[in-house]
Amino acid sequence: MSAAIPRLSGGLPLLGHLLELRRNPIHLMQRCRDECGEVGELRLARQPLVMLYGERAQEAFFRAPDEQLDQAAAYPFMKPVFGPGVVFDATPEQRKQALRNRSLRDQAMRGHAETIARETERMIAGWGESGSVDLIDFFAELTIYTSSAALVGPEFREELGPELVPIFKDLERGTDAIAYVDPYLPIPSFRKRDRARARLVAFLQGIFERREREGRQCQDLFQVLRGIKGPDGAPRYGVDTITGMFISLMFAGHHTTSTTSSWALLELLRHPEWMKRVIEELEALYADGREVSYQALREIPQLEGCFKETLRLHPPLILLMRKVVQPFQYGDWTVPVGNTVGVSLAVSNRDPAVFADPQRFDPTRYGPGREEDQRGFAWIPFGAGRHRCVGAAFAMMQVKAIFSILLRRYEFELAQPPESYRSDHSKMVVQLAQPCRVRYRRRAAEPAP
Amino acid sequence: MKIRVDLDLCQGHGACAAEAPEVFSVDESESRVIVLDSSPAEALRSRVEAAVKYCPTRALRIVEE
Repeated sequence: MSAAIPRLSGGLPLLGHLLELRRNPIHLMQRCRDECGEVGELRLARQPLVMLYGERAQEAFFRAPDEQLDQAAAYPFMKPVFGPGVVFDATPEQRKQALRNRSLRDQAMRGHAETIARETERMIAGWGESGSVDLIDFFAELTIYTSSAALVGPEFREELGPELVPIFKDLERGTDAIAYVDPYLPIPSFRKRDRARARLVAFLQGIFERREREGRQCQDLFQVLRGIKGPDGAPRYGVDTITGMFISLMFAGHHTTSTTSSWALLELLRHPEWMKRVIEELEALYADGREVSYQALREIPQLEGCFKETLRLHPPLILLMRKVVQPFQYGDWTVPVGNTVGVSLAVSNRDPAVFADPQRFDPTRYGPGREEDQRGFAWIPFGAGRHRCVGAAFAMMQVKAIFSILLRRYEFELAQPPESYRSDHSKMVVQLAQPCRVRYRRRAAEPAP
Repeated sequence: MKIRVDLDLCQGHGACAAEAPEVFSVDESESRVIVLDSSPAEALRSRVEAAVKYCPTRALRIVEE
């Protein structure tokens, strides 16, 4: 016996709640929670989306096997970004193959930390005594270099420059939920997305073809993927498929890390007592003269607490979804095949049943005795379960390395009214709205090199 | 102590194998942990605790006997 799933009020005849999702998604998802409770249904164009709320329902979502809840089919707006044959457009088996990527393994992290420290130093080398910088422009460019150098290889990174920043921006801005009607509608954001992807493909293929022509062997991910043979002995992945994999690899760590870094700095500037604690912590930590690449892998509890709190309050993805392939049962409810089920990170991360005073920026909630992030199916900025972000450890190490350098070299202050910094939720990929400028000034006492 | 693994959560990062190689290994082809010793000696406790703590997906637990 299955209970009827409550339906959310409102919604238009053809579009359902799609326009509300594009206008104010967090409000929509909270409204569904308030009106319907643990399980509630809304509609994105013709697609019914059953939202699951609370730790128990979210655990059921994250534990469900791929054969029951399919990740790939749930994100129609990603397919035109990554292209055919890549992550979200591949079978579970192909995806497993593609993700069997050793570069995110624990042993590789020390080398990545060195890379990130080097790239951060390069980015600020021209900063001088004082000035101002747009946070998204800065972190977007930096994370293109760090992810390409660390995850693909150093030679590949040297081929890239600031011209990739607007390309990635157009790709990210192309994740409009209107894709639930048709991901190829002739609207400006989709046209820009497709042009950006075509430019990126041409750019990457130029690099790879030059390599193959010159017979250059680089010890990097491209070579590894090219070297995988199919059953017939021919290379398993064509250059175009590898290009798509690289787009997905870089995409996953791009807006997420750059938005989180930006918000973390802003939250520290809004909470000077925390900025002070973090700087004292870093100065004590680096007093022993060891390298950033070493320290970034160690615990930096105050700084980490600030990042965790930033991720909780400003998660770069706010809605995770799966397509129902076999009927999904939770409590008295059964979600039928063909529906989509969703979990909202933005709602969950502020669930008052889990987080004390949830609207407050309070990094002590992750300290000994509280450890609210250990509520693994409630504190979910990286998702959970089998599809939990494979780059989570890399991302945490990366922001620790970047901030170890920035905060010890420079002092920062807001260059705009505090309330003018806000996230833009009009696309499925959340981004800090621009402009988002801060001023910087070199610290009086340079730390020892 | 006994080790419990939640295989719904494990992604095969290998942090546990780096902390306590006597106890954990990674199945490369399946991208998941292999527990080499599910009731490790008390002498390994601090390293097993580190493995539990640094698991990026919180897939490991220690259960006291």
